[in-house]
Amino acid sequence: MTKDFAVPPVVFPPTGGSSGGANVQQRRFSAIPFQQPPPSSSSQIPFLSFNMGSAAASSATHAGPFGGTIASSSSFGGGGGSPSFEDEEPLLDELGIHPDQIWKKTRSILNPFRINQTVHKDSDLSGPIFLYLALCLFQLLAGKIQFGVILGWIVVSSIFLYVVFNMLAGRNGNLNLHTCTSLVGYCLLPVVVLSAVSLFVPQGAGPVKYVLAGVFVLWSTRACSTLVVSLADGGEEHRGLIAYACFLIYTLFSLLVIF
Amino acid sequence: MYNNMGPQPGMPMHQGIPQPGMPMHPAIPQPSPFGNPFSGPGSGLIRSGLGAYGEKIFGSSSEYVQSNISRYFSDPQYYFQVNDQYVRNKLKIVLFPFLHRGHWTRISEPVGGRLSYKPPIYDINAPDLYIPLMAFGTYVVLAGLSLGLYGKFSPEALNWLFVKGMVGWFLQVMLLKISLLSLGSGEAPLLDIVAYAGYTFTGLCLAVLGKIIWGYSYYVLIPWTCLCTGVFLVKTMKPVLFAEARSYDSSRHHYLLIFVALAQFPLLIWLGNISVNWLF
Repeated sequence: MTKDFAVPPVVFPPTGGSSGGANVQQRRFSAIPFQQPPPSSSSQIPFLSFNMGSAAASSATHAGPFGGTIASSSSFGGGGGSPSFEDEEPLLDELGIHPDQIWKKTRSILNPFRINQTVHKDSDLSGPIFLYLALCLFQLLAGKIQFGVILGWIVVSSIFLYVVFNMLAGRNGNLNLHTCTSLVGYCLLPVVVLSAVSLFVPQGAGPVKYVLAGVFVLWSTRACSTLVVSLADGGEEHRGLIAYACFLIYTLFSLLVIF
Repeated sequence: MYNNMGPQPGMPMHQGIPQPGMPMHPAIPQPSPFGNPFSGPGSGLIRSGLGAYGEKIFGSSSEYVQSNISRYFSDPQYYFQVNDQYVRNKLKIVLFPFLHRGHWTRISEPVGGRLSYKPPIYDINAPDLYIPLMAFGTYVVLAGLSLGLYGKFSPEALNWLFVKGMVGWFLQVMLLKISLLSLGSGEAPLLDIVAYAGYTFTGLCLAVLGKIIWGYSYYVLIPWTCLCTGVFLVKTMKPVLFAEARSYDSSRHHYLLIFVALAQFPLLIWLGNISVNWLF
């Protein structure tokens, strides 16, 4: 059931009012990519949907991340005032990327001797994606195109760590896959540093590269096993066993870097 | 001989089990380790893994389906009840089976009317899945390292090494399973056999490590590994075979055991030969 709206044409001079309405419609549509736009009889713009009221009602029940934007823009439409660009949620917040949180978590891993576990309590995957892109970038600078390989290995190794931890921890094990992937990703930071450093190591120095890789892998392992054990229950008496699993994972990544 | 729990005042409870309140069996309170995989701690993993098919499998209340699944796929949680000491002692047994002075039979206890085996923490002869899994991972990593040292490393080569290791594990499982089947009913749980087969990767890792450190030590370490793995498998399969066999046909038993030991040689030589071409 479509509400008939007097649809203004899409012109973008900043005259507020009617064209502002079209802008809101366009932005709202981009926030709901999968919603079928119901055909508006009086519309001169066939792709825009104008059911603010019914759309808000139907999508409030099931569109979690979009509900906020729909509610906010429907309140604009309901209020009838001119919606402004500044009232929208920032893009990064909409996407769930919090740069200060990412920076805090990354900084906590930079210190190899004391790892602050509390910042990692809520896991996110955007930091690991940045670290993955950084690792791929440094590998690219070294002449190796390994985007898919690294991503696949991150997925496989986080599933591996998840299985091993939950099986060892038994009944109390409550590591979930999101947290596990987030931790494996963040503790990839020393490997990223290793790949950056190994760009400058001269070609023929074999043992230097291995020693360097060993140091960074041990740093990674220590960070990952400490975080995993402290963030999920049931792993305290299996620290050594879990640390060995982490060691295998990061040695695998360091193989990509040194060879 | 091996006391994995260390010095304990009374009940052997606290070392590896995070449940100090349980009286006698701090492990999973279930009738048998092979009994019900759907009610143990690993069941969460199984349930979430089978989430898509959950209704189909669990919705039907047929005992037949459940008992069949539990017959073929015993509870994996049992195999992960390990601790540091168990891992150390078990590695000693697998790598130097000649030095093990104790007996090789698993300790069984009657639990809830059914005879079940004690979990690996209490019984050094019980199989576990942690060591085989880690040994397999170590084998893949070390093989990648040795490939890289010869300048032939690439991620695709590592993937093929993974496949090769899996095929080797599968062949070993087939070997043990067929020798069980040809004698008795072959009703040992599949995960037991997978665990026994996976122990060969520990010796293999040693051989590959020797190859990395000094090339010629490989030619000493591979026969040693084959011998040790053969002895370990023979000594472990002997009580299993004799328990499963319907009729006591001693010469057939012994020929099969000798065949299992001898078959380790080509298998381990194939697995230890690390090159870019994974098939040989």
